[in-house]
Amino acid sequence: MMKQIALYGKGGIGKSTTSTNISAALSGMGLDVLQIGCDPKRDSTRMLMHGRLIPTVMDQVRERGDKAITQEDVVFTGYGGVRCVEAGGPEPGVGCAGRGIIATFQVLERLGALHADVVVYDVLGDVVCGGFAMPMREGYAQEVYLVTSGELMSLYAANNICKAIRRLSGRSRGQCRLGGVICNAKNLPDEKQLVATFAERIGSTLIQFIPRDPVVQRAELNRMTVIEYLPGSDQAEAYRLLARNIIENRRLDIPEPLEIAELENLAYDFIAD
Amino acid sequence: MISSRTEGCTLTGALSVTTSVQDAITVIHGPDGCAHHNFSLLHALHFDNDQLNLPSILSSSLKEQEIIFGGEFALEETLSGAMGESPGAIFVLTSCVAAAIGDDVRAVCNEIRGCPVVVIPTGGFLGGGFSDGVRSALIALSELGKGGDPNGTVTLVGEKNLEYEAEANYREVQRLLGLLGVKVRLRFVRNIAVSEIAQLGSSSLNILREESLADVGDLLKDRFGTPYLPSFPLGFEGTLTFLSQVGDALNTGSDRAISMELERQKGIIDQFSELRGRAVNICHSDHMPAPFLSELLELFDLQVKERGQILTLPDPIPVGTSGLSRMLSRWQRVLHA
Repeated sequence: MMKQIALYGKGGIGKSTTSTNISAALSGMGLDVLQIGCDPKRDSTRMLMHGRLIPTVMDQVRERGDKAITQEDVVFTGYGGVRCVEAGGPEPGVGCAGRGIIATFQVLERLGALHADVVVYDVLGDVVCGGFAMPMREGYAQEVYLVTSGELMSLYAANNICKAIRRLSGRSRGQCRLGGVICNAKNLPDEKQLVATFAERIGSTLIQFIPRDPVVQRAELNRMTVIEYLPGSDQAEAYRLLARNIIENRRLDIPEPLEIAELENLAYDFIAD
Repeated sequence: MISSRTEGCTLTGALSVTTSVQDAITVIHGPDGCAHHNFSLLHALHFDNDQLNLPSILSSSLKEQEIIFGGEFALEETLSGAMGESPGAIFVLTSCVAAAIGDDVRAVCNEIRGCPVVVIPTGGFLGGGFSDGVRSALIALSELGKGGDPNGTVTLVGEKNLEYEAEANYREVQRLLGLLGVKVRLRFVRNIAVSEIAQLGSSSLNILREESLADVGDLLKDRFGTPYLPSFPLGFEGTLTFLSQVGDALNTGSDRAISMELERQKGIIDQFSELRGRAVNICHSDHMPAPFLSELLELFDLQVKERGQILTLPDPIPVGTSGLSRMLSRWQRVLHA
């Protein structure tokens, strides 16, 4: 059965790094993986493509019209056979990027491109409008994983996304649930425990702790995922564990977002300690 | 005045103003449908009023691609096309789609040289309703006014270009002003050329079509120092007051004009004496000014009864003595029917 997951979290928190390494690890488990970058920055799949910025769905639509596009124009095979798609979108400051995501899904549906053992949606930092909630709607991603560090602003963004998940899960056709919280560490004191407590308070669980390691930057400078660059490293193992946990995860929750004061108190308790 | 969501979109209101500038082109920055529906509506209404003029409207034809990537280029291309027609001015209205995606319409329009380009940030339904569109258009077009020394004339502001009796109402105001020896210099905006708008601000008095345009009146007063009357004359007494106010504002004296008009009104009241003492049930809109109705009830000693003869007060209510005369004539026909 096809599994569709979406990674959400604050901008710059490491969603694309985490997504590409999950996709690489899943392909290593023999699974057919499709990763879809849902961000106009179009750099979600770059490390799987060895640094190449692939043509985006929206670029193709603009240049050739959506009727002339085939799967080969928008789906590109990267490391480990992972198939990569970038939604793309407008230049910063013009147009409507959210509408671009909606249009991308319409094109991918029409092309019949949304099939794989696992589809990984890597989505823009904040769910700023209905367009960026698209991967959570219409039965696309049934499992959302929040990527956060122990920093307050990161937890705040994650908490906000819980609101979107909760709202969408309440709809009659809503199948979207929270699969868990991924801690992409910034090396803060007690960070793992803080994020685990946050996950518990919102009614979910910490699915994996990813330590901060310079190997991530080295891999990216070499235009590779950690899985490919240094497969024997502890960091690669952490990503493999994460991928396995996601595949085996059966716990799907409707989260209870925290009030801002609760969130601040939680962070304060850990910092004060 | 709070505009109602039931009164339509700002685009229709703004177009009712801009399409009355005969040598201008109006560009709707939005999907084709906005232009199509409004063109059809304006055309049908004008046709109803025995006018066969086709409104000069162009669309920037926004489609999904422009919504995603921005519609500024589409607007640029449409403006270039409009320039090819050598219009006196181009008025650019924004649809809700353009407003929602945040196109910088002013920046695009500022690049155009060779004819005035006036942006009217209507924003489709996001900007409110029909009346908001009318006000936005009048305010934006006032940028083309040059002002000048007050010359004893009046400017009419915000005539209702889509109403059935627009020309009859204009003739009535013109007649009343004629009693005072005052001329209309500019109809802002009805059936005029772009060049005529330059005269805005050079009259000694602005007369607004209705009170809801007070903020337009205030703006013109601030910009050009022109005082204004808030409305065309309504009701018998209101018409006499109108003459007095115009006379005071322009120092023409109004006693003679008022006594002449009073005689005319007496003649009309006698003419419709058949209405006197009738039991009636008068239908009217919610925003009917109370003095207008009470004056009629009193003058004709009308008895308001639920089962009385049903009569209708038109909306908008008739202008001046002549407007009332037309309405009373219709009432009399109903009573004879």
